[in-house]
Amino acid sequence: MRLSTVLVVSSVCVLGLAGCGSKGSSQTEGDSNTLTLGAAVSLTGKLAREGALTKEGYELCRTKINEAGGVSVGGKKLMLAVQYQDDTSKPDTAAQLVEQFNDKGVKLILSSYGSANIEAQAAVVERNGQVMADSAGADDKIFEKGYRRTFAVLSPATEYAASIVKAIAELAKPKPRTVVFLSADDGFSKTVTEGGMAEAKEQGFTVLPPQYFPNGTSDVSSALTKVKGQQPDVIIGSVHLVEGIAIVKQAHELGVTPAGGFGETVAPPTPDFAKTRGGQAENVLGSSQWTETVTGQDKYFGTAKEYGDDIQAKFGHRPEYHNAEATAACLALALAVEKAGTTEPDKVRDALAGLDTESFFGRIKFDESGKNVSKPMSVIQIQNGKVVTVWPTEAAESKLVWPGIKQ
Amino acid sequence: MTSFVQATLYGLLQGGLLALIAVGFSLVWGVMNVINLAHGAFVILGAYIAWELNSTLGLDPFLGMFVAAAVLFPVGYALQRGLINLVINAPVFITLLLTFGLDLLIVQGMNIAFTANYRSIPTSYAGKSLALGDVRIPLGRLLAFVVAVAVTLLLVAMVTRTRTGLSIMATGMDRGAARLMGIRARHVYALTFGLAVALAGMAGAMVGTVGTFNPAAAGGYTLLSFVIAVLGGLGNMYGALVGGLVIGLVEAWAGQYLSGTWVNALAFLVLVLVLLLRPSGLVGRAFYAARVEV
Repeated sequence: MRLSTVLVVSSVCVLGLAGCGSKGSSQTEGDSNTLTLGAAVSLTGKLAREGALTKEGYELCRTKINEAGGVSVGGKKLMLAVQYQDDTSKPDTAAQLVEQFNDKGVKLILSSYGSANIEAQAAVVERNGQVMADSAGADDKIFEKGYRRTFAVLSPATEYAASIVKAIAELAKPKPRTVVFLSADDGFSKTVTEGGMAEAKEQGFTVLPPQYFPNGTSDVSSALTKVKGQQPDVIIGSVHLVEGIAIVKQAHELGVTPAGGFGETVAPPTPDFAKTRGGQAENVLGSSQWTETVTGQDKYFGTAKEYGDDIQAKFGHRPEYHNAEATAACLALALAVEKAGTTEPDKVRDALAGLDTESFFGRIKFDESGKNVSKPMSVIQIQNGKVVTVWPTEAAESKLVWPGIKQ
Repeated sequence: MTSFVQATLYGLLQGGLLALIAVGFSLVWGVMNVINLAHGAFVILGAYIAWELNSTLGLDPFLGMFVAAAVLFPVGYALQRGLINLVINAPVFITLLLTFGLDLLIVQGMNIAFTANYRSIPTSYAGKSLALGDVRIPLGRLLAFVVAVAVTLLLVAMVTRTRTGLSIMATGMDRGAARLMGIRARHVYALTFGLAVALAGMAGAMVGTVGTFNPAAAGGYTLLSFVIAVLGGLGNMYGALVGGLVIGLVEAWAGQYLSGTWVNALAFLVLVLVLLLRPSGLVGRAFYAARVEV
């Protein structure tokens, strides 16, 4: 008797928790005064942090556009509504949820976070004739499959490390000679590394063989021990936050001190990086999809600085680029609906394909494959514990500190 | 040569920490036949307790780990006594289901309470290292290693030399006979689980000191504990220590001499090989398989 009670209780617990990600509200696109977007975001699991930032970005977009009266469609103002679902950071769930949106008649989709999730979603979007604004899937492989219905507002993966290389080549004095890439082994990071290595060769650096480690690991000591003897001038990590923190921490432990310094793609712009690493984070370079110094503005969000203040007011923290790219994706979709004058997915798709607009996020214009190639990435550096933009020079807040490491 | 020594040293230090993470998991499995899927969540919970103590009171994590253990011991005791004990005789998949549910609850609870941001417990010394020629010994990891080995030795001493420890082993070997000798199995089980959760909490404090953590890391530590427990073998308190050191070394050497992406594959290959040659693990004693259920 007692056993069966426990069984029932524990099953309900487990199923209840597992199920909360897959049950949706019953709202559909039936209300003619509402423009409903579907968003499967990663609210639990390993991408929960970035997923929460993405949701904040979508939420700010929804409230700002509604405060401004809504989206003008064919002489009517539609209020923006976003249906959220939790994809638990798993690509197959993210894809299934897009399928469920389709079953409910939701054809316009805001993407999940991360290339793996979005690659899975893009295939479903294509099959169902939906349209997706991609806020955080940068892997170039998503755009090499001939999909016509996924549009990414962010710069492609090949630019992440390449932009750091460009900044060093342009600004670093003395110019370093040798570069080595330390990379996580997931598809996105590998694409980042390939792009960075190609750019480094083009800029005339000697590029040492890259070292890979498992995605998500907090122990990169083997890779560091291997490159220690080669004495590279610059170590560039194609990493996520966890591996990025590990590189700086363990390099310190192992006495790996490149003459120039460290660059790491997405780790340094995240506040947790400087917070957890303190002085070791000083002068590390990073690349960011967006900073508050990006030029350009739009009618809903104004400038990047104004956008930052809105995030601060609504969520109590300064914006991260994950916030901004989510809002930008939502903005692109809303502008495309306005331009198309209808919510009919095929027309919205065509409007998105032809979109060319300035915004708080920079220029949004898609190439044939759906990538936003008009927007440069920003290169940031941790200076006195703060993230400051150092490249491109027109958006720079401060000069590059070089060499970025104390010998 | 230097890089080999460096990798070996790092692997050993890492292995010690892995052993501390896994020792509680191995204890619970060996004594109670419960595969505790919430083990990693307790590790992370310990890390958050030590982090909270450090950020609000400025308490050093090497002291904070004792507080974490003291806080988590009664939690573990109560969980076993009030919840897991209800299904202790049920087929193994029921306890799997229950601990899996617990894991989800704790991890999601931590997500809500602490957000999913990455954290690390800052100390003035954990990032420093001692230089022996070209070889560096990271201080934080060295201290964590010393703690791990000391705790394992203390656990061995407790199990072999104290009445409580002997009653834990006796209950693990033959619950029926232990009961006939006047041992209260329910209390012993709760004590074992409390001890395991406290050890997980201590390991968590170390994890937070030498690395970074967030709630999503819990699953990884459960998996690691599983591999180490199986590799080292159950029923011997040294099992987790041996398993942890082997995994630490294999990962360090694999990273050094193969492409880094092979690290996990090689660790599991070693596990398979050990299981083929020594099915009860490197130093395990197969008393559980032979024990009599009453």
